[in-house]
Amino acid sequence: MTRVHVTCTINGDPAEFLCDGGQTLLDALRDEVGLTGVKEGCGTGDCGACSVMMDGRLLCSCLVLAAEAEGSDVSTVEGMASGDELHPLQQCFLEGAALQCGICTPGFLVAAEALLERNPDPTETEVRYALAGNLCRCTGYDKIVRSVMAAARSINAGAGSGH
Amino acid sequence: MTITEANPGYKGYKYVGTRLIRPDGLEKVTGKARFAADLNLAGQLHGAVVRSPHAHARIVSIDTSRAEAMPGVKSVITGDDFPSVDPGHRQYDMCVNIIARDKVFYEGHAVAAVAASTLEQARAAAAAVEVEYEALQAVLTIDEAMADDAPVLHSHMLTRGAEPPAEAPSNVASVTRFSGGDLEAGFAEADFVVEREFSTKPVHQGYIEPHACVADTGQDGHTTIWCSSQGHFNVRSSTATLLGWENTRIKVVPAEIGGGFGGKTTIYLEPLAAALSSQAGRPVKMVMTRSEVFRATGPAPCAKIRVKFGARSDGAIVAADAHLIYSNGAYQGAGGMLGAMTVFESYKIPNFAVEALDVVVNTARSAAYRAPAAPLTAFATETVLDEIAEELGIDAMDLRLKNAVKEGDPSTMGFPLARVGFAECLEAIRSHPHFSAPLGPNQGRGLAAGYWFNIGESSSAIVNLNEDGTATVVTGSPDIGGSRASMALMAAEELGIDPHDIRPVVGDTEAVGFTDITEGSRATFATGRAVVEACRNMVIELRGRAATMMEAEVGDIDWVDGHAVYTGDGDSEGKEPLSLAVIAGKAKRTGGPLTATGSLEAHGAGPSFTVHLCDVEVDPETGVVSIVRYTAAQDAGTAIHPSYVEGQIQGGVAQGVGWALNEEYIYDSDGVMENPGFLDYRVPVASDLPMIDAVIVEVPNPAHPYGVRGVGEAGIVPPIPAVANAIHSATGCRIRDLPMSPVRVLEAITAAGARANGG
Amino acid sequence: MAVRVHLSSNLRGPTGGVAEIEGSGANVGALIGDLERQYPGLGDALRSGVSVVIDGLLIAHPQYYRLADGAQVFFVPQSAGG
Ligand code: FES
Ligand code: FES
Repeated sequence: MTRVHVTCTINGDPAEFLCDGGQTLLDALRDEVGLTGVKEGCGTGDCGACSVMMDGRLLCSCLVLAAEAEGSDVSTVEGMASGDELHPLQQCFLEGAALQCGICTPGFLVAAEALLERNPDPTETEVRYALAGNLCRCTGYDKIVRSVMAAARSINAGAGSGH
Repeated sequence: MTITEANPGYKGYKYVGTRLIRPDGLEKVTGKARFAADLNLAGQLHGAVVRSPHAHARIVSIDTSRAEAMPGVKSVITGDDFPSVDPGHRQYDMCVNIIARDKVFYEGHAVAAVAASTLEQARAAAAAVEVEYEALQAVLTIDEAMADDAPVLHSHMLTRGAEPPAEAPSNVASVTRFSGGDLEAGFAEADFVVEREFSTKPVHQGYIEPHACVADTGQDGHTTIWCSSQGHFNVRSSTATLLGWENTRIKVVPAEIGGGFGGKTTIYLEPLAAALSSQAGRPVKMVMTRSEVFRATGPAPCAKIRVKFGARSDGAIVAADAHLIYSNGAYQGAGGMLGAMTVFESYKIPNFAVEALDVVVNTARSAAYRAPAAPLTAFATETVLDEIAEELGIDAMDLRLKNAVKEGDPSTMGFPLARVGFAECLEAIRSHPHFSAPLGPNQGRGLAAGYWFNIGESSSAIVNLNEDGTATVVTGSPDIGGSRASMALMAAEELGIDPHDIRPVVGDTEAVGFTDITEGSRATFATGRAVVEACRNMVIELRGRAATMMEAEVGDIDWVDGHAVYTGDGDSEGKEPLSLAVIAGKAKRTGGPLTATGSLEAHGAGPSFTVHLCDVEVDPETGVVSIVRYTAAQDAGTAIHPSYVEGQIQGGVAQGVGWALNEEYIYDSDGVMENPGFLDYRVPVASDLPMIDAVIVEVPNPAHPYGVRGVGEAGIVPPIPAVANAIHSATGCRIRDLPMSPVRVLEAITAAGARANGG
Repeated sequence: MAVRVHLSSNLRGPTGGVAEIEGSGANVGALIGDLERQYPGLGDALRSGVSVVIDGLLIAHPQYYRLADGAQVFFVPQSAGG
């Protein structure tokens, strides 16, 4: 079986990996690259646990072929913190107790980051609709939504004080 | 047994009741936390399961030769590779559910398993295992199971509890009866009698992480299993039972667990992976697909319920009668029994009778789901109470307050209840602004209550002090909702050190004493008590070490806020208080490492009551129900970590709302599940729900040193009737069949409209 | 120890429906032995899947739980959880 050689950027660093033609990006990230922070809850695009960013687009990595990542810029939960500094979303999730089991957390963080990039000051309703593709069975979403809004406030306050 | 130094209520505590950032949180927000499917071992094989396409069939033969010859295949197993098991065995059902022997009982039932170098090879080989079935007539519903000419699933199953004793096998596994007072006299006293029927569908726990494990058998036969489970000691003993191995041959390492809700209190994959690994001599990883999770793992039972209540015009409930039939899937279960124990438990009803049947059908074996059986009995009781309140012109809250059980009232099972917080929860809701907030057009408000017993069982803990004065707390309870944070807080309170200096960990089966499954809302209660006991033993040791260092008598040393303090009347020269860190640093010179254990069987689990208030808006054109506001008050005894208590309440509400409005297993006429994925089995998403206001009520449980009652389960009990009552308030329609989907709601509205027009 | 025994209604078959009976034993296991002598069949009914409540404490595995004279012992079905 010939394997496909993929060259891309993952979490800001150049990366290359071999994958099978039919392998999903989710499986390649987990099994070939070792980024097991990307989770599989369904494999069919219905739970959002496998959310990653590819070239600035939020997508379910279980629905993308790994080979499609050639030349692209992929980011996962593992790339969110810079050095020992957590992303405000990560910090707010911790402080807001936005996770119980934590299996959905990587997907929510990536999806929420995508939301805040698009809409830095979302209303509660906007947060709820933007995250409707991510399932959480533990929290009832309350603390997740609050934490995303707290992160937005903290990012905006930081940006404000910077000027 | 008495609990010493009971100190109810956390007001006076330094750490208990604070919102510590959970110690395992960082790994979870950075993607580093290791769940079972994240583990990969060198030389690892991948397993796949061959599953029955039939809901009910006899296995005529299994031919694995073609599969064995396929590329990459290292091992193929069937039921014949496991010791035979007798129907009288305590774990017979679990054993034959994990791998079928001569019959399959549901579509998706495991009949064989394969390990190969790659997952694709394993799946291809699984498809090449040739199983010849003789299809049998499938029994899919309660009515079919109880029909006179129904095919009997299990020829050994005689109805337990039948009077006179059952002589012939049937699909009724057991019958449970409770009664009290004089039912006939009770109903004769009633001014208003109402009888209603309810029906529900199976629903799944819906944890986002599919079942997964890795098993690795060494040359000596010793096997290590990493898995996602609510109870790794149970994984060990169950796997050992199935394989006929000793417990010492298996070590189970609990991975982080991606949700369980009761569904991971039993096991499915681990013995298969262990058997494949020991045959192949290589590690074997097995991960279920979402479809396998739906088809082959624990849905919650569904039920048909008939209840009859009699009330006096002053609102006193004087008589109640219930007939419950729970369908537990392919094997006997406890749905009906638990339903019988919960249906009338919240109210003081002088005359009552309950009869509950547990039946088997050809669907997946049911598993526990958060407060098993209680959401369904609450659906019946709480909606009928609402109807009684309406009929008698009494406020729904007042009716409940009038009849609510309190300390000393007899439970359904006869014993006087200990201190419970039901009235306090009702009052908390009544005084909440939500209770009197105005409603908009097409909106309605529903009130409902619920409770769960909670359980105790066995737990073990170890506290090790490190030489720098930090501590490691090891317990045997898998952390499914933030329990490590609670353990750190309780240990901090006892030892008098900062919780950030405590590392709480979940030990594997060789690292800590036996601990029962994390279920029955028991971790913070029972394992928390083991941690407290270990810490108190540690304090005794620390006082002894301090006595050595101070050259004093241990009886003259107290432990105060993390310090050994001399309180004797001798010369206090050289007897300044010693901090835990100082004592720990000198441990080598005072007797060696500082380690203490706590292990116990925890008596006195305290029930948790809860009261919910739900506002819905019903679209009269489509029947779509939106939840617009939700408030839930629950008695936590004492909230060790309020955020995770709130989280349990909010999570329970969301699951209950899903159960009420959307979730159901849909089978075709052959018993094949038609919606085994999250697209068609729709669980609530963020945009389906409002904020859920969780109000923590604290009526301490005297059997826990900090007053803890378990909180994990009760939250799922009231949402179904709260939503149903709210729909009635919005539309005037009572819906008694789940789910209350748009189609069903619209039908009810239309029918009511037709009745109104016709009348 | 002489104690007062209360049977939940599903456990009263062997007593012919009687809810409250007298029994004695140093611990719950011995008490069950005594009850079996008085009411054949009751011992089996009480030995598995049954918990007791004594002084408001629910005890899931009570065999060796010591009894005080005059205790009120409630036998109830075992509960579970998810
Ligand atoms: S795993 Fe990709 S959406 Fe669920
Ligand atoms: S925290 Fe468990 S699924 Fe979201």
